[in-house]
Amino acid sequence: MAEAIGLYLPRASFVHRLHPVTKLAISGFILVAGLALPGMWSPYLLVLFGMLPLAVLSRVFRVLASRTWRIVVPFMISVFLIQGILWSGGTPLIGFGPISFKREGLQFAVASTGRILIVVSSFLWFALTTRPDMLMSALAQRGLSPSLSYLIVSSIQIVPRFQARAATILDAQRARGLEVTGSMLRRMRAVVPLVVPLILSSLIDVEERALAIEARGFNHPGPKTSFVEITQAGWEAFLQWFLVLAMAATLIFRFLSR
Amino acid sequence: MVPGTGYGSHAHLPVPLEIAGIGIMITLKGVTYTYPGTDSPALQDFSTEIPRGQFCAVIGPNGAGKSTLAYILAGFIPHFYQGTLQGEVSVAGKNTTTTPLGDLIRMVGLILQNPFNQISGTKVTVREEIAFGLENLGVARSEMIERVETVMALVGLGDLAERSPLALSGGQMQRVAIASVLVMQPPVLVLDEPTSQLDPIGSKEVFSVVRAMASSRQMTVIMIEHKLEWVASFADRVIVLAEGALLADGDPEDVLANESVWRQGVGQTRYTLAGRRLEELGKWKEGKKLPVTLEEAVPAFRKFQKQV
Amino acid sequence: MADARRNFNTITLVLIPVAIAINIAVGQLIYTLKIPLYLDSIGTVLVGVLAGPLAGALTGLISNLVWGLSGLNVTYAPFAAVAAVIGLLAGVFAEAKWLRTWWKAILAGVITGIISAAISAPISAYVFGGVTGAGTDVIVAIFRGFGFGLLPSSFAQGVTSDPLDKAITFLLVWLIVRALPMRFLSRFPGASNISA
Repeated sequence: MAEAIGLYLPRASFVHRLHPVTKLAISGFILVAGLALPGMWSPYLLVLFGMLPLAVLSRVFRVLASRTWRIVVPFMISVFLIQGILWSGGTPLIGFGPISFKREGLQFAVASTGRILIVVSSFLWFALTTRPDMLMSALAQRGLSPSLSYLIVSSIQIVPRFQARAATILDAQRARGLEVTGSMLRRMRAVVPLVVPLILSSLIDVEERALAIEARGFNHPGPKTSFVEITQAGWEAFLQWFLVLAMAATLIFRFLSR
Repeated sequence: MVPGTGYGSHAHLPVPLEIAGIGIMITLKGVTYTYPGTDSPALQDFSTEIPRGQFCAVIGPNGAGKSTLAYILAGFIPHFYQGTLQGEVSVAGKNTTTTPLGDLIRMVGLILQNPFNQISGTKVTVREEIAFGLENLGVARSEMIERVETVMALVGLGDLAERSPLALSGGQMQRVAIASVLVMQPPVLVLDEPTSQLDPIGSKEVFSVVRAMASSRQMTVIMIEHKLEWVASFADRVIVLAEGALLADGDPEDVLANESVWRQGVGQTRYTLAGRRLEELGKWKEGKKLPVTLEEAVPAFRKFQKQV
Repeated sequence: MADARRNFNTITLVLIPVAIAINIAVGQLIYTLKIPLYLDSIGTVLVGVLAGPLAGALTGLISNLVWGLSGLNVTYAPFAAVAAVIGLLAGVFAEAKWLRTWWKAILAGVITGIISAAISAPISAYVFGGVTGAGTDVIVAIFRGFGFGLLPSSFAQGVTSDPLDKAITFLLVWLIVRALPMRFLSRFPGASNISA
């Protein structure tokens, strides 16, 4: 099985084998429904009855849950404390005087946390179960520009190398006596000697990379073929359309019920 | 798998039809090129002919115009680099100035120094990376699969087929780059210092592959290289460039033992250096040609050993 | 599907992933310095200056998606539109020749920072409850405490960091394009906007 790239976690699950666009449709629907359906509890219900079972089915439950939790908690704490307590003109519910949780603030905090939960979990689930290159290939086969495909996948893949380069430059400059700890002024002075060499050395590659990609026929006229065949089951096409319509329906419903 | 074994021993790559029957693969006549924004030409009035199947090494000090020559052969001058290209360049029967780059890339495969820059980044396995060029050319899937397998066997990448091309060593990455180019079946292969950014192991891996390609005589190989011992052992012919012009052209044994070549800062092989030292000590027979390879050096030094 | 190249030539196309990787590598490097800067859109601004507003916008958009998809910071993804605007503005200012002088570059950065804080505020308010989950929430708290609404408080938080961050970003880009060799620079449509 291919190595992990980016967030993608290779797993032998039924979900992983689904067509990328199906997964895109699923996460898109959960996102839209979670945000558009009325009631502050609807995102929670969607996470509970949609996202979590899906995660179990995809065998990414533990990773999804822990990552989502780690991301959401700081927001949750902040939003409950700040918006909960400092909600202007709110009706106090718990607490004393000014340091009390207001009802409207708490409602907002609950709704907010629900929204953060749905945005983060749907995005994470999609990224954990879908290989970016597969997604891009699938979209390219449906007419998406190969340039866009190139942009997204190669960006994700070359990041580690640039991170390594940054670490090398940091070491080299520190060996030359650059101070990166201490007073704020000293640390700010370290910015230029770190950032400028990193960027200049990275830009040197650009011309050669452009040459190399031309040499591989990237701008060759005519239709491109695909080495990897990305198939989808018949019912997946049906599901994709259904979800797209459901998303549209949810949005229309929300728009009308305002 | 030990690099150097088994390379080139599998099926040969089929030769593209258009070039069957061509005797002289590459012709340059009076070629002069100046990069935009520079004053002096990088290559001046350069002419040569390279017959099909030859393994030609190009050496010379930095700034001599070697990379410029590589880009001209591959058609990137004038199609990728602006500036005026004067003179005639013909590769595999095609005039590189009037033929579109899309056709030229199928005639000439170009390998550059930095392995990382040649990995597209859009593919997650070595196998798919190699197929990338064929996807762009619109080759049918069944043929792609076959060609990719053949090339991977040729270059010894079978074990790495499912690995991410960006998670490899320099030598492995460079071999992937070579495979990615070979899979497009160009009759000409141009390599611009392919080992200069590699460690000794990586260099050895790459040399093994190139040697196998060249010895099969199916491809015409032009290699810009600094490692003179290697050039001396395997090249059919050595072209020396200095300051944008042709300095010497001939067999490795002659060119690399030539004093005017050394004076241009090209350097000598260790064997030549040893021979020169003996010359200084007065122990070398007057007028006898200095050795450039191990094979030449051994009998010559053995004779010297007997004298002592 | 039509021409794969859109209006970008190959070198611009190849520049973008490098710029995105620069965004991430520099962003992380700066994070280790623990200074009140992010500098995580420096690549985006660079593309906007070298290759124009559209290329800059595309870089910003994809950059935030990549922050998310590579697992480094998922919370950046909803702000993709903001990053796109930063790239767009970089290109617009460059075309207005503001990147020719250092102080105009700084000013361009300040303006971009203010606009970026303004666009971030509603996204932050809607998706993230108007908070960042980090230390700068103190500012949100202060403004909320004084009775300011959700959006103004979020904007206030943004405006204490974005203009400075973008000003330094634009200044660094000004410095960098000056240090680039003409041979490289001349390949990009924005080259004429940079040197006088």
